[in-house]
Amino acid sequence: MTSYVKLFDSAEMDNAVCELARQISSHFCDTGKEFALVGIHQLGVPLAQRLHDKLLESGIKSEIGMLDITMYRDDIGTRNMLPRIHETIIPFDVNDRVIILVDDVLSSGRTIRAALDALTDYGRPGLIRLAVLVDRGDPEFPIRADFVGFNVSLPAERKVLVNFEDIPGMDAGIYDVNWQTK
Amino acid sequence: MSELLLKNARIIDPARNIDKAGNIAVADGVIVEENSLNNPEIIDLTGKVLSPGFIDVHVHLRQPGNTTAETIASGTAAAAAGGFTSIVAMPNTSPSADTAGAIEYLRRIAAEQGVVKVLPCGNMTKGGKGEEMAGIGSLKNAGVVALSDDGKCIQDHGLMRHVVEYAKSFDLPIMDHCEETTLAAGGVMNEGKWSVLLGMNGIPGASEELIIARNIIFAREIGWKIHMQHVSTRESVDMLRRARAKGIPVTGEATPHHLTLTDECVKKFDTNYKMNPPLRTEDDRQALIEGVADGTITVIATDHAPHTQTAKLVEFDHAPFGIIGLETALPVCFTQLVASGIITIPQLIAKMTTGPAEVLGIRDYSLAPGNAADITVFDPEAEYVVDKNKFRSKSRNTPFDGMTVKGKINLTIVDGKIVFREGC
Amino acid sequence: MQWKRKDLLGLYDLSAEEITFILDTAAEFKKVSERRVKKVPALRGMTVVNFFVEPSTRTRVSFELAEQRLSADIVNMQAQASSLLKGETLLDTVKNIEALQVDLVVMRHSATGAQNFIADRLKCGVINAGDGAHEHPTQGLLDLFTIREKKGGFKGLNVSIIGDILHSRVARSNIWGLLKLGANVTVAGPSTLVPREFEEIGVRVCHNLKDAVANADVVNLLRIQHERQNNGFFPGIGEYSSHFGLKAATLDIMKPDALIMHPGPINRDVELAGEVADGPNSVILEQVTNGLAVRMAVLFLVAGCRK
Repeated sequence: MTSYVKLFDSAEMDNAVCELARQISSHFCDTGKEFALVGIHQLGVPLAQRLHDKLLESGIKSEIGMLDITMYRDDIGTRNMLPRIHETIIPFDVNDRVIILVDDVLSSGRTIRAALDALTDYGRPGLIRLAVLVDRGDPEFPIRADFVGFNVSLPAERKVLVNFEDIPGMDAGIYDVNWQTK
Repeated sequence: MSELLLKNARIIDPARNIDKAGNIAVADGVIVEENSLNNPEIIDLTGKVLSPGFIDVHVHLRQPGNTTAETIASGTAAAAAGGFTSIVAMPNTSPSADTAGAIEYLRRIAAEQGVVKVLPCGNMTKGGKGEEMAGIGSLKNAGVVALSDDGKCIQDHGLMRHVVEYAKSFDLPIMDHCEETTLAAGGVMNEGKWSVLLGMNGIPGASEELIIARNIIFAREIGWKIHMQHVSTRESVDMLRRARAKGIPVTGEATPHHLTLTDECVKKFDTNYKMNPPLRTEDDRQALIEGVADGTITVIATDHAPHTQTAKLVEFDHAPFGIIGLETALPVCFTQLVASGIITIPQLIAKMTTGPAEVLGIRDYSLAPGNAADITVFDPEAEYVVDKNKFRSKSRNTPFDGMTVKGKINLTIVDGKIVFREGC
Repeated sequence: MQWKRKDLLGLYDLSAEEITFILDTAAEFKKVSERRVKKVPALRGMTVVNFFVEPSTRTRVSFELAEQRLSADIVNMQAQASSLLKGETLLDTVKNIEALQVDLVVMRHSATGAQNFIADRLKCGVINAGDGAHEHPTQGLLDLFTIREKKGGFKGLNVSIIGDILHSRVARSNIWGLLKLGANVTVAGPSTLVPREFEEIGVRVCHNLKDAVANADVVNLLRIQHERQNNGFFPGIGEYSSHFGLKAATLDIMKPDALIMHPGPINRDVELAGEVADGPNSVILEQVTNGLAVRMAVLFLVAGCRK
């Protein structure tokens, strides 16, 4: 049996996205620099899109891209299967650009490590920052988020699940998932 | 002397058309009347089938030449375990059994170490090369029961015609491996749908059929017996049927593997499905079964062809042809042909006793008192899984390993002596 | 879906979903080769042995480059099937390779099924780079990739493969892949080299070039081997070319947007007129580019799926 405990509902989640957008805009509007949002597959991609839309509502334009980090994982060849590689689209020149990597949850930090390698293979960005909806606060790598929606502290074996859309059997929201083996 | 009383068996004796429950008595190596026994060992065979000893007219013993794969001792032990009391040893040893000396060697080793009777077969041509006639008269004097260049086939029709003519004068039947080699060249499996799909070189049925046709022509013209080894195609069976209907002295054998497997098996790339002639189509297989059922094919023979694991565990293209069959012949045929209702137990036994005896010219191959006590007993109900690691043969090249079969050999008796006994 | 195979032996074994999965993966790897940094660390620390028991230049170079772009360490081995026959067995050779803690063996062999035979007996992954006349799965996949890229899909697409089908592993891998993905496949060439048995799996067989190409969306021409002439399959290269060679004039009876494909190397003006090979319908060089992406995808998936 796997139990799902709702940590934040849909409205709280939307507020957090707005808060993230506000943090980003206040940080970068001061500098006046153009920036790009790069969502990491899978759920960083819709989050980046939401941030992009919120920023646009406030009159702030940003470029948007999506990044798959599967080819940069550090566990290739150690599992008995491989997930699908999703589309990487970086429709702008990354050289010297300010890039905000966007992911739903910062957990071990390994995904971000891979994303930094992947991104730098596209060029030499001027500045990279990290925005996450949920920061679990105990990464395995020395990686910290610059913009955070929620701080959640849970035992390592638990999973934090972000669900942006209502689907049958699960409302939009953020969940604490507990995999219990009977 | 030693006496045996085999009690309560279902006795099937095709030569005398007997199928009834009863006892068989043995004394001093021959079958006797039961009331002549004094103090016999009694073996109860309730529920078991007793018949004349099986004869396999097509066995490769590999000695001399390749004793890593098989020896006369191991091959005859395998024969005993398979219920065979007599086996015909093919001459394609190294050196070939094409001289009286080679036959004398075979007979001497077989007498010293053989478990069952070894009937020598001599080459038709020197070295089996299909170029010069072997010393057929000397071979006859040395004790061969038949002539064959098995594994190869005389391509020179003029030479073949002379061989048949000459063999007739020495009363030696011909057993021919029917293969026209320009058609078969380079082939590793049946030419057909599966060779096309797998991209393998095929051996067309026509390669066999051309030579069957030739042999039928010579058998008719010369009036001498030609036995077609390992018949594998529908057309071959049809030709044989028509020829036999006309009274031409031709016979044919089918192997257990051609009766039960098809060329689709090759898609596993297991070299235990590589043999010559190759496994054919399902239609060919059905034709063989029809031929067995209607009496066109009178012999089931194994073409027991031992090869070491080293030889067989290679790329399919590079593996030698052939599989072993002595220890699986009865259960495989029983399961696929009898248990499935295609032929009766007496019909199957006839294909393994009187059919082969007729090819070799052995008269009255039966359980009649006075005959040699060559006897096979099997349990038609016993079900088990084939385990190649239990074989007496030195080789393990079988496609039937792991197969669930019905019909288990319990007892093999040669000249009144028990040479194999298990489960009775 | 997720990739779960330790080997890639042929397209006969794969489901339509698996084939599509490889093509999707290849699309992402194609982008890698378009970057300035044409390399990803996916197979860093892994060792790939390219074991060719049959000469090859193109396929081997394509595999080597694919391996390098995945950051694998590479060893190349060549052998002759004939010397293997006399000395060490194939199985011993590959077992020795595996004992060196190799992760993947990319193998070409002149004997059909040789890769199937060893894959069952090795723990490391095996990728078939061509076995006899059986399969050449990465060639089949790169052809599929190219067709999908140009035509958008396979359903109802008419694909004609022309040449020595009997002896072609490229043809077989294409046929299995195309049938699974819903294309209509025609094979054409001299009747001695295009067996009717292909009809039994739903392939149209014809022995006339015009019939084969008239309605085709894709025409894949195979290299004709001179040695087949010596074996009596057809009278000569000249007669082959005049009856089955695709010429500039042949384009007039074809769909204007038909693709011309060839696995290479081309016998110019034998099976394919030079001007057609270089013309606007030809995607032959794109096939080569796509081959790299497909091989990267296959190497990545097979190497990645290990316990």
